[in-house]
Amino acid sequence: MLLSHGSLGWKLKSSLYIITGVIAAFLALPIFFIMALSFGSSQWLVFPPPSWTLKWYERFFDNSQWIESAITSLQVASLTSIIATLLAIPASFALVRGQFRGRDYLYTFFTLPMVVPVVIIAVAVYGTFLNLGLTGTLFAFVASHVIIALPFAIISIINSLRLFDKSIEDAAVICGAHRIQAIIKVTFPAIKPGVISAALFSFLVSWDEVVISVMMASPNLQTLPVKMWSTLRQDLTPVIAVASTLLILLSLLIMIIASFVRKQSNHH
Amino acid sequence: MFMISSRKKWNNVTLLFPIILFLFLFFIIPLASLLLRSLTEPTFGLQNFEQLLATSTYVQVLFNTFLVATLVTVISLLIGFPLAWCITLMPKGWGRFLISIILLSMWTSLLARTYSWLVLLQSSGIINKTLMAIGIINQPLEMVHNLTGVIIGMSYIMVPFIVLPLQACMSAIDPMVLQAASICGASARTVFFRIFLPLCKPGLFSGALMVFVMSLGYYVTPALLGGVRDMMLPEFIVQQIQNFLNWGMASASAVLLILITLVLFYLYLKVQTDSPVSSNTGA
Amino acid sequence: MSLQTNTMTQSPLVCLRELNKEYGNFTAVDHINLDIRKGEFLTFLGSSGSGKSTTLSMIAGFETPTSGEILLNDASLINIPSHKRGIGMVFQHYSLFPHMSVRDNIGFPLDIRKVAKDERDKKVDEILQLVQLEAFADRRPSMLSGGQKQRVAIARALVYEPEILLMDEPLGALDKKLREDLQDELRLLHKRLGITIVYVTHDQDEAMRLSERIAIFKEGEIVGLGTGKDLYRKPPNAFVASFLGNSNFLKINVTGAASAQLDKHHIILDDLHVMPINQQALLMIRPENLQILTPEQAKNEALINGFNQISGTVNESVFLGESLTCSITIPSGEQLISKNIATEQPDLEPGSTVFIRWNSKHSSLYSKWEQSDINKNSAQ
Repeated sequence: MLLSHGSLGWKLKSSLYIITGVIAAFLALPIFFIMALSFGSSQWLVFPPPSWTLKWYERFFDNSQWIESAITSLQVASLTSIIATLLAIPASFALVRGQFRGRDYLYTFFTLPMVVPVVIIAVAVYGTFLNLGLTGTLFAFVASHVIIALPFAIISIINSLRLFDKSIEDAAVICGAHRIQAIIKVTFPAIKPGVISAALFSFLVSWDEVVISVMMASPNLQTLPVKMWSTLRQDLTPVIAVASTLLILLSLLIMIIASFVRKQSNHH
Repeated sequence: MFMISSRKKWNNVTLLFPIILFLFLFFIIPLASLLLRSLTEPTFGLQNFEQLLATSTYVQVLFNTFLVATLVTVISLLIGFPLAWCITLMPKGWGRFLISIILLSMWTSLLARTYSWLVLLQSSGIINKTLMAIGIINQPLEMVHNLTGVIIGMSYIMVPFIVLPLQACMSAIDPMVLQAASICGASARTVFFRIFLPLCKPGLFSGALMVFVMSLGYYVTPALLGGVRDMMLPEFIVQQIQNFLNWGMASASAVLLILITLVLFYLYLKVQTDSPVSSNTGA
Repeated sequence: MSLQTNTMTQSPLVCLRELNKEYGNFTAVDHINLDIRKGEFLTFLGSSGSGKSTTLSMIAGFETPTSGEILLNDASLINIPSHKRGIGMVFQHYSLFPHMSVRDNIGFPLDIRKVAKDERDKKVDEILQLVQLEAFADRRPSMLSGGQKQRVAIARALVYEPEILLMDEPLGALDKKLREDLQDELRLLHKRLGITIVYVTHDQDEAMRLSERIAIFKEGEIVGLGTGKDLYRKPPNAFVASFLGNSNFLKINVTGAASAQLDKHHIILDDLHVMPINQQALLMIRPENLQILTPEQAKNEALINGFNQISGTVNESVFLGESLTCSITIPSGEQLISKNIATEQPDLEPGSTVFIRWNSKHSSLYSKWEQSDINKNSAQ
């Protein structure tokens, strides 16, 4: 009754749809709102805009600072994604397959960067890198982003490894394959969706990171969110709406790829 | 036999070596040295903590932080509960569609979403204009650069973190249990309060705790939507470092924030394992 | 007192009148009429989708009938919500409240009815004793075995002394041994409390073991209603015959008031039949009512009056311990299955000729049937 759709009266049913619609709109509209505004002609972001234009896009792509920061973002996010995934794969194997004590504690430890407020990680890493003279380098960006990407990568790979029946790998070994060979030829293809989504979410975490990046940035090296951040603190120019739209589109693309990968793995 | 098993163990630890080394170098050492600074800068002692508790600004900051975190948790619960319930009630396809909207909102750039609210809530923004056009208000409401803006923006961001665990919890409830309560004589109201709500408790609790913890440590949204006067703890920490280079004070506040966070996280882990729903599906 | 109960058993407690439930174009329950007597143990027996559970749900109030009437003590239940019907119900998957202890689960209906605490505790203790769960009173349902959970569910349904107890395949999730134990417990419980029970199952053995009356459901209709013994011995139609136990079906031509033609054989029928003469009909004989005789036995033992005898060839005989089943082909090409107590039966080699005898009183005759009714034969 409270949990079955079929037995609701029409009054309850219609109010249910209305509530859901309103809340879904509340969640989705700000995203589409900002994308629409990036095409609006109003400097003051009036909505609905007086007319539609591409001039903010021209401004964005004509400005080398925006372009460079976007390229840096891509570089940092790609490197973060690769390194986080490469660190997470062996760790996940050890956590899922290992028989040693304290595995749960280690798992909690690896997911700790997700729990500790990002601002504290940012400040801590900033303090250390400042002393080492590393701030403002690509290394600093990647190293700090990997910290917060790791929990996502590990959770995603561990989940797919847990679902994988290890006896299939053992079967390959009985058939004469070396353990490493069996892992590469049998286990890895099976957990590939998990690994891919680990890489995708690591990319997304880095691509979207603001606080840490703001700390790591220098006038010469900054990511797109940092550039947005510093611009935002001065004014609300629609160029930021353009940058936001680009961020949103990339997030959307990655979400679609991730759900596609998940669907594929469900078919197996 | 013994040889093989001991070799395997050794192998497993080797696999963990890179990640442990990495986290140690870039996470634990920086974190530890930050926390240590609260005791060592400028000189060794508890002076930073004493100063913190003596400063009225700091007390105000702490108050703001907890106020915002509490209000955000309550508001996102109020929005998240009906939404989670709707998703559970909706026919399968619709439910999945709603979940993907939530995931989309969750994984969309935080900065973009905050910016969007900044534009929506500004005094010449669409919300103020609509309200004035309808005639509810005569003057634009001040909804940004104060706590109102922070609370609206953060609630929006936190709703998915309530909905996802809560929805998982709700869909694990056996609908027949509710029918059983009804045939035992319980009215719809009683079924809701005595059966349905208690069964949702683990989901509600873990969602609320997660949102509360995240809200305590949130920086971006309060910094953009909030005002200068009503600062929250994370902003205070950054300000101490960026503006005053006062690492001692920043570290002391960081110690406090991290302590609160870890205690609440510990509670969160406890709640998750004690879930009565996960241990009983009825069948 | 006993006299009063006696008269009470005559008047129906629940009446279903032209009860109908449709989902779009699909008719789940097709205008059924049924009287449920006070104090009886009635079982709805049918395969899945036969409408038995839907009927139960309508009595409980979880489904609203498309049309028709449900009367409890002559008052309509149609517009009364589940929680005001005062009916007890036990669900297939127990449906205990996972967040409450056993004691609180059982006490829940009493709390709803605002029973005073002393009385509530007393009643809960009594019923805990009845289902032998005193030792588990403070456990959560997740810490109980399947059988214990089901006992809690029964206790919860009985504690407020409802006039009628509905049970929806309550033992379906348990393994065979436990199921049989609980069936016996349940039968004793019913005898002790004298409560009216409506029980839904797809398991014919369970229906036979438990119930006083059985209603057999097929495609939303009740196609057989009566005691297990009557339904088994004199099935009202071919479906009931094949659904309840095993059966042999033979196509015959009715030639007279008590005679018929089976292939080239002349056979006698029970003279109580009301079939039209010179038409095809279906003869049903239970496997255990077929006697198998070797040619010598047939020669030595004279055919008793009212018995039929035909010849056949043994295909296969299987020794099952207490009984021996034998599959035999008769001259018309049809196959018969016999089942006899093994100790009295000679060994039958495949290919050997045998004689089959049966008492004409132990056969049933149908003028109408569907092929699908017969095909279910040994599938059950």
